[in-house]
Amino acid sequence: MDTSPSREPIPYVERSRSYYLAQGYDNPYNWAQHDEVPFTRLSKPLSQARLGLVTTASIYRPDLADQGPGAPYNAEAKFYRVYSLPSSERPDLRISHVGYDRVHTHADDLDAYFPLAHLQQFQREGRIGSLTPRFHGAPTNRSQRTTVEQDAPEILARLREDGAEAAVLVPI
Amino acid sequence: MSLVSRHLEENGIPTVIIGAARDIVERCGVARFVWSDFPLGNPCGRPGDKAMQRSIVGMALDLLESATAPRTTVQTPYEWSPDHSWKKDFWSLELSGEQLARQKVEFDRQKEIARQKRESEC
Repeated sequence: MDTSPSREPIPYVERSRSYYLAQGYDNPYNWAQHDEVPFTRLSKPLSQARLGLVTTASIYRPDLADQGPGAPYNAEAKFYRVYSLPSSERPDLRISHVGYDRVHTHADDLDAYFPLAHLQQFQREGRIGSLTPRFHGAPTNRSQRTTVEQDAPEILARLREDGAEAAVLVPI
Repeated sequence: MSLVSRHLEENGIPTVIIGAARDIVERCGVARFVWSDFPLGNPCGRPGDKAMQRSIVGMALDLLESATAPRTTVQTPYEWSPDHSWKKDFWSLELSGEQLARQKVEFDRQKEIARQKRESEC
């Protein structure tokens, strides 16, 4: 068990390991770890660039079980293929399919986990050149291999189709 | 999402992650990361606090332009609460055997739902 002082950030890697073990699983999740980190510089000022947005939030489906706000964990709301929706409309995206802190926050404000409206405002003010016509949804809870070999290349391809020159990624 | 970020960077698209699980993101290793010491579920700022959200998203835009090397993490200046005891509750181990057993039943049930869904969608 971690013994971190209360002001330290939550040690999620260690805590998830302990949590799984306490529940009787002997194969805790193996979080990705890399020494080398790729880096691309922005090639132009952001005020002239086209920006993409990627989220792990899920499209609301009224036919599935409770998706909140405040819903308990709901694996039915998971998705396993990259999705894309137009950036011109305000989508109804929920986060009941992921393990967020349901005690201290309640998923009752889309803008708190999906910044499209804020990005649109920055675009109107000229801080961003333009937003891509679509944003993209990234599946969660997959094997690292599936993310690396399937989902990440799919998101890259869609961002390229959109002409994205940079991207904001928001995991829940 | 950190793995997606790495793939985009490798292929010429600069990225910034806005998030809260600092050790998970930094262990994976990403180019740019705007981090708030918040509960998971509101990486862009406190629900209802549009000024804070705008500030955090703005910091991500700033970082896209200003970072000169990978693993650049910027911590936002916001505190979830002066009392940090919320950090003890998430994936808490301070549960009775009975509570843990109940959680495991629900966990296994959700895992099975996810498995069936994954098989039907893939």
